[in-house]
Amino acid sequence: MTEVKMKLNGETRSASVPPETTLLKMLRESFNLTGAKLGCDVGDCGACTVLVDGMSVNACLMLANQVDGREVLTIEGLATVEYLHPVQEAFETFASLQCGFCGPGVIMSAKALLDENPDPTIPEIRDALSGNLCRCTGYTKMIEAIQDAARILRAKEHA
Amino acid sequence: MRGFKVVEARDANHAVALLAELAPSVKVLAGGTDLLVDFKHAPHAPEVVLDITRAEDLKGVSMTDAGLRIGALATHTDIMRSPLVRESLPALVDAAHTIGAVQTRNLGTLGGNLVTCVPSMDSGPTLVALEARVTVAGPGGRRELPLTEFFVGPRKTVLKPDELLVDIIIPKKNVGKPTDFLKFGLRKGQALALVNVASSLWVDPKKTFVEPRIALGAVAPTVIRAPEAEAYLEGKKITPEAMSEAGRIAAGEARPISDFRASAQYRRDLIAVLTRRTLENACARVQDVRPGGSK
Amino acid sequence: MNDKLRVTEKELTQEALRDPTEALRVPVVTPPVPYPIETLVPEVRQQTPAVGQRATRPDGRLHGLGQTRYIDDLTFPGMLHAKIKRAGIASALIKRIDTSEAEAMPGVMAVLTGREIPVNSFGPSLQDQPVLCDERVFHAGDGVAAVAAVTEQIALEALEKIKVEYEPLPAVLDPLEAMKDDAPKVHPPASNIYSHKIIKKGDLEKGFAESDHIFEARFSTQMVEHVPLEPHASIGMWDSNGRLTVYSSLGRITLGRTDIARTLRLPINRVHVVATIVGGNFGGKNEITQEPVVALLAKKTGRPVKAVYSRGEEFTSSTTRHPIIMDYKTGVSRDGRILARQVKLYLDGGAYCSWSETTLGKACILSPGPYNIENVEAEAFVIYTNKTVTGAMRGFGAPQVCFAYESHMDDIAKALGIDPLEIRLRNAFSEGSISPTGQVLHSVVVRESLERAAERYGWQESQS
Ligand SMILES: Cc1cc2nc3c(=O)[nH]c(=O)nc-3n(C[C@H](O)[C@H](O)[C@H](O)COP(=O)(O)OP(=O)(O)OC[C@H]3O[C@@H](n4cnc5c(N)ncnc54)[C@H](O)[C@@H]3O)c2cc1C
Repeated sequence: MTEVKMKLNGETRSASVPPETTLLKMLRESFNLTGAKLGCDVGDCGACTVLVDGMSVNACLMLANQVDGREVLTIEGLATVEYLHPVQEAFETFASLQCGFCGPGVIMSAKALLDENPDPTIPEIRDALSGNLCRCTGYTKMIEAIQDAARILRAKEHA
Repeated sequence: MRGFKVVEARDANHAVALLAELAPSVKVLAGGTDLLVDFKHAPHAPEVVLDITRAEDLKGVSMTDAGLRIGALATHTDIMRSPLVRESLPALVDAAHTIGAVQTRNLGTLGGNLVTCVPSMDSGPTLVALEARVTVAGPGGRRELPLTEFFVGPRKTVLKPDELLVDIIIPKKNVGKPTDFLKFGLRKGQALALVNVASSLWVDPKKTFVEPRIALGAVAPTVIRAPEAEAYLEGKKITPEAMSEAGRIAAGEARPISDFRASAQYRRDLIAVLTRRTLENACARVQDVRPGGSK
Repeated sequence: MNDKLRVTEKELTQEALRDPTEALRVPVVTPPVPYPIETLVPEVRQQTPAVGQRATRPDGRLHGLGQTRYIDDLTFPGMLHAKIKRAGIASALIKRIDTSEAEAMPGVMAVLTGREIPVNSFGPSLQDQPVLCDERVFHAGDGVAAVAAVTEQIALEALEKIKVEYEPLPAVLDPLEAMKDDAPKVHPPASNIYSHKIIKKGDLEKGFAESDHIFEARFSTQMVEHVPLEPHASIGMWDSNGRLTVYSSLGRITLGRTDIARTLRLPINRVHVVATIVGGNFGGKNEITQEPVVALLAKKTGRPVKAVYSRGEEFTSSTTRHPIIMDYKTGVSRDGRILARQVKLYLDGGAYCSWSETTLGKACILSPGPYNIENVEAEAFVIYTNKTVTGAMRGFGAPQVCFAYESHMDDIAKALGIDPLEIRLRNAFSEGSISPTGQVLHSVVVRESLERAAERYGWQESQS
């Protein structure tokens, strides 16, 4: 067994897992954080996207052990007690999700993008979402929502 | 995934020592974007996985006496963000940008891409066109060799089970050399290259090609150079006709296969077009950069 | 955007964070729209108020929070994980299955084979699909045995220990080959052609005789997988009174319940099916797959059993879209009016019927296209092959025939030197047109749609 201690959604958490456990499996099974999904298990679909030290990664392609001592943010850590994250808010307003299975991954990718680039162009948003597959909605409403969230975040920044 | 043990290397030397101790039943783990995918489908897992991701000395991009050094553990994102690379060899940024998607680039490393050694690897052609060399460390010490000699065949390199790829060096004389990379896949994101091509060149005051280098990917067992096309261009005046002709020659030098993604003929056509375009784009970059990476 | 919500991205401090196990203070469901909702009842051909408006979804909030529970997010105390061994051979007799080594593995709680299934056949129209093959394998993605174990990995490793001895049989993989009399039968002694439809209108021969030109062409489409992001999954468990509860990502639960009850030989009122939120369906989750397997493994072990398809199984062992070979013969007048059309469709039905009959019907009815044609004959066959099952997928055969008749239309227009838009306008249905099956059509806006699309696209300019 491997001991993994990390900052998970802002809190120090630890787990003891077999060494071959993926980050995704640990999040889902040891911490009950089922927002990140297993879609393809080989890094293609992006449904398992989470942020490690602020960078988006496929949780299915990391070993749990590799996040020891690092910061992990999952969809469950994005909203605060009182408020949704602007991306979550916008995804709701723009009805950017239908079945919703890809949603947590898409939203985490969008969050990583906006952290780095507060005013992304449409091609930049498309590029940022190219690792997230959606089979229902398509991407148009996601792109609109991300642009809207970006506007709100920028307005907050200036206020 | 099947069960295995994980050991962590503190640095390159520690990794080499661990490899010596554990080989051959050990596999090096970098970004895991090839290795873990393989493990999920493989009938056997190795006994031990050597996680090198915490070996800081294998990361980073720096300018050394020998040239531009890229650590084997530098991720594709690291390369895209490196001011040194952006300034002196933007084609490397373009090549890194075509790999998978953001999540894959945040994890996947340059070293992993070269060691996996699939013919369609997207970091290969640019490095080959820039005559990159690699450093390999093993129980007997370190050795340096040209990247083209590092590749042996599809999914095969010269690395022995107890050896580590340490870094990739672009020789000083080629830092700042105008270069261009183009990939053609069936989609923009998350698609393997049907063909990828990189060209590098200098231009002398008489507007002729100097040291043109053309590298082709996904059209032979490993990334290859196109020596006949290069020889044809050497000393020739830069004209659209010469660049088209070089593309045609390069297409003849490759050995593409037909598979479910594309026919050999389609791949040949792509080589001709992509070679011409990379030459044109590299020429257009001549104004941008000068030898040594200084503006 | 709702600006009264002063949304901030707060520092992720412990106090500010919502513990995922704690109740949300952000309401999880958006407040409902106040009733009554005023809606316009549109007159025929009047734009409905819905078009062009943005609709929000009531489940949008939970989706965005990552709190929607899909089936794989559910666990139950003591739950086991099941995996199915796939045949990997297109056509064969099963001589022997040896599960003893798998059963002896630590962590393996039960093994199931086809012979243990009370009624080993199901299907939405023909019951021609075994839950797990017992005597014969019909396509490579068929299940031949299943394992329930304490972890998914142990179940997977146990599958490798199950030895199946096959006697390979000739496989038929091409629908046209499969139609021939001497072709190997997929389900002997039944014919490989398992459904057929013919539609006739007018006098085809007369129509061709009156035509100035006759065009013939063959079109074909490939097999397509739905690839829902959420793989097929189900969980089965029994209560102490012998009632079964099945959680499933199934779309058609009442049909599924019937099939589950039938295969398990249970009265239907003993089966409780809970449809979980579906993570993408597109027609691919319209029938049961492994539900009886989890139910029987749960019965054997007395524990809840969950099974989730791998991405690979999604391709080999769930339904797909029918590949169709489409032969078109069209007679036209010099000015491009269609006088007669004969269509023959050969649907690759794969190993089992699934929703083939529906697909066959719809493809056949729609195959002449949205055009006024006096003389029509459309005939369709669906044929068994030893391939992955084809079934329902978005449009039930309509996209395939649309690809064919519109490609055909372009070829005809080109040959006659008529503008592709113009040839469609000359033939398109209009108000009161009669379809090949004799239906009088209302609210027909083919022409208007085409004209408006052409205008917006700048069709005329693009042609010059
Ligand atoms: C969804 C997806 C999309 C992809 N798209 C592309 C693409 O478009 N183009 C492309 O070229 N590739 C693509 N890849 C492949 C992969 O991402 C790259 O090859 C990546 O660079 C591999 O690096 P890694 O660090 O993840 O390697 P790992 O998976 O960690 O390792 C790969 C191999 O190299 C060995 N290894 C790694 N580092 C060293 C070292 N320093 N010394 C010795 N051995 C070492 C490992 O033992 C293993 O055999 C894709 C992968 C995925 C999952």
